[in-house]
Amino acid sequence: MLEATNLMVFYENMLALNNVSISCRKNQIVGIFGANSAGKSTLMYTLSGIMEDIRKKEQMAGGERITVLGKINYLDQDITGIKPSQRARIGIVLCPERRRIFTESNVLENLRIGAYLATRAQAKETLEYIFRVFPALEKLKTRLGGFLSGGEQQMLAIGRALMAQPKILLLDEPLMGLSPLIQTILVRAIKEIRDETGISIIVTEQYARPVLPIVDYAFILENGAAVMEGTRDELLDNPDVRAAYFGV
Amino acid sequence: MEILIYGTINSVALVLMSLGFALVYGISRVPNFAHGALFVITAFITWSLLNTLGLNYFLSIVLAIIAIGVLGALIYQFVLIRVRGMAISEIIASYAIGLAILEGLRWGGFKGHSYRLPVFIEGSIIVGDVPVDYHRILTVVIGAALVAFIWLFTHYTRLGLALRGIAQDERASMMLGIDSDRMALVAMAGGAMLAGLAGILLLPLGNIVVESGYNVLTMAIAVCIIGGLGSWMGAVLAAFIIGFAQILSVVYLGAHYQMVVALLAIIFTLILRPSGLFGRQKELEERV
Repeated sequence: MLEATNLMVFYENMLALNNVSISCRKNQIVGIFGANSAGKSTLMYTLSGIMEDIRKKEQMAGGERITVLGKINYLDQDITGIKPSQRARIGIVLCPERRRIFTESNVLENLRIGAYLATRAQAKETLEYIFRVFPALEKLKTRLGGFLSGGEQQMLAIGRALMAQPKILLLDEPLMGLSPLIQTILVRAIKEIRDETGISIIVTEQYARPVLPIVDYAFILENGAAVMEGTRDELLDNPDVRAAYFGV
Repeated sequence: MEILIYGTINSVALVLMSLGFALVYGISRVPNFAHGALFVITAFITWSLLNTLGLNYFLSIVLAIIAIGVLGALIYQFVLIRVRGMAISEIIASYAIGLAILEGLRWGGFKGHSYRLPVFIEGSIIVGDVPVDYHRILTVVIGAALVAFIWLFTHYTRLGLALRGIAQDERASMMLGIDSDRMALVAMAGGAMLAGLAGILLLPLGNIVVESGYNVLTMAIAVCIIGGLGSWMGAVLAAFIIGFAQILSVVYLGAHYQMVVALLAIIFTLILRPSGLFGRQKELEERV
């Protein structure tokens, strides 16, 4: 469904992504694991097109020179270099690191802004679906985004991304800084979303263990390079990977 | 009573003058220093349509506002889009456009005190014991309706919500499929139309002179700084604070203190509360 080949991203001369090739098939949950600065967010920005915006703004302001090489294919269409809003339109939606909730809008409004690409009927249906997956949000409908807890914000961020009617959802560190209890709820919800809606999901995490049970396939990034990939069981069989990323 | 009535009228006038500026800045982060020029040129366009082409007054107004909306969009599409994100360049570019428009008008012969737009409704009414003309009352009503309209538009329509998304977090909005440049274009066109509408509403109360372009820009900036840049409701509140302060100073100090009040208010705001009354809550953003 989504296939990135030989992605290279440079910030000036610093290599942030080194020849990374990843792919996600329809209805799959793909995990991308790696430490801080391994290139997870850079990869997500590149796939979602935000990197194009960052590059454009840096170039206009005469800042860092960012170079993106490689090719991204989505549903047999070359999408390398097209705008992030255009990518969202064809179904690639990023739920960013640190959530980036609209803090001055309430929960319902956050979701309604997210529904920019949805038809009225789709928005209504998705809204009901979100409240079914995250019942906690329904009670907080009128609370401002800025006054939600981290876990609630993450639920809202995922819900908001769903409102954009994605075909493939990119989740950048959705569990960061959350309690184990909330992590369990979110992981279960992510699987539920995939199972019920058929949306493909790419999820990044530093620490693989909480999401490992739900991923079908995973890549491990190290210093910007994909050093290993495989199904969950293949990775679990590798003692180095187990020690470094899974803590088992 | 006099203070209350004229304070309200003056405040609504300030709201009208600054809404367009606040809208454009709030959404695209472009300080539109051509705002005052758009305010004045709309009045001149209306005057020309009305007197040179002899069109009906209402039709002239509608055409002038459409024209100014297109002009605002063109300014964004061909000039501001290239300097977007560089604050100083944005100011220089938009101020240069404003200067070109205003001085171009002056050069083109639109100067002196012979240019007047008719008021919408002649006559006046006694409110309490103060005479107020109908046009001023109409201005207040339209101003209030406009604020209500903008509130409804930004809370209940797809486009309005998208604009607010961009205003709060540009990149998060892009991820949801909202095109930042298109929204900035819409904001600039809308802001220009608001400036134009303000011009058409306020200028019939006096002569259309090029200089009022500079005054309007100053007042709009004053209101937006005091209300907190990027906050529309802050701008409305600040307009009322300055509006009443101005009328009070006219009554107790003298007419020429009007501008001083606005400028002093900017200085005090910047010293005491640099982000304005309703500035974006930076602390909150960092905490989350």
